[in-house]
Amino acid sequence: MNVSAIIEIIVAVMVLAGTVLSLLSSLGFIRLPDIYTRSHAATKSVTLGILFILLGTFIYFWFMHGLISIRLLLGILFVFLTAPVAGHLVIRSAYRSGVKLSDTSVKDELRDDLKKMKQLEQYHSKEG
Amino acid sequence: MFNYLMLLSMFLLSVSIVISLYRVIRGPSMPDRVLALDSLGYSVIGIVAVLCIMMDSHAYLETILLIGILAFLSTIALCKFIERGVVIERERDH
Amino acid sequence: MTLQILLNLVIGMVWMLLHDEWNMLTFTIGYLIGMIFIFALRRFFPGRFYGIKIWSIIKLLLLFNIELVKSSLVVIGQITRPKLNIQPGIFKLETKLKSDWEIIMLTNMLALTPGSAVLEIAPKEGIMYIHAMDVAEFKQSIVRTKDLFEEAIIEVMR
Repeated sequence: MNVSAIIEIIVAVMVLAGTVLSLLSSLGFIRLPDIYTRSHAATKSVTLGILFILLGTFIYFWFMHGLISIRLLLGILFVFLTAPVAGHLVIRSAYRSGVKLSDTSVKDELRDDLKKMKQLEQYHSKEG
Repeated sequence: MFNYLMLLSMFLLSVSIVISLYRVIRGPSMPDRVLALDSLGYSVIGIVAVLCIMMDSHAYLETILLIGILAFLSTIALCKFIERGVVIERERDH
Repeated sequence: MTLQILLNLVIGMVWMLLHDEWNMLTFTIGYLIGMIFIFALRRFFPGRFYGIKIWSIIKLLLLFNIELVKSSLVVIGQITRPKLNIQPGIFKLETKLKSDWEIIMLTNMLALTPGSAVLEIAPKEGIMYIHAMDVAEFKQSIVRTKDLFEEAIIEVMR
């Protein structure tokens, strides 16, 4: 059992874990009832899955070729920073364009407040 | 053995791309499609990374960063289009 | 704080010059020695020792990673349950953070914690509207993690 075999095992485990995570979360795309719950699956598990795969790739190139790839680190940082922002933007635009919550939802404290906010915005834009 | 495992993970990522495509085509509302396209981009990033390991070359690592940036920018542009109806706002309009 | 970091870099450079070895290892050794000196003389500098801030940043990152793993497991558990019975909903949360950067950090981190996604922010009132995957199950834990993150962010930013 030499070093490269151990590294191969570690990389394989990490890549497979990431793959299973992203597969399961895309399964959530089919099963979950509305867009808001789907965004939970899209932002959290997909991010973690891609993180695992990229870290596995990083470890592979580091120990097999002695190459510390700055591009890969930048990619990891970028995915980390942008995935939650994208998820937030999607559900925000969905709510503002009037996509309904699923029937099983129990609580919605935003609806009345959003009306007030929109009225305020219109009032300010007329004035200015 | 290692190569077969990588091939297996590539196959599973392709399956998750197909599932996302189902949501892109079928999705009842527009934001659904945007969300599915976003996660499809992340699956493509994963496939490129696994391809790099399989071919044992670091030539494709730029592609990861590029696809990530493109997916994020397209998501933002589409969201703004859904919310406001325009992508680039001019100051003169209001 | 900027003064301390600059001084520490200069100490590292001088160490490298005195040894006449131009590599990263010598610089790192000099930097660590400079850090020890600045820590020993910390009461003569204006402001706190900057190592405390770096330590709190590391603590925040660790907390965040733990929460990310936990939240992914929670979401996977909900998805793979054979019969789906979740009660999603939207509720209000108040935050005591004020400046833009603090609120950005908090929302980015809350988006990746168990069962919560920030829908809308009203920064003037300091209110966030949060969509939870299962209101009854997760509300307590969301409030708890929000308090944890708030304290960690205040420690970093102020």
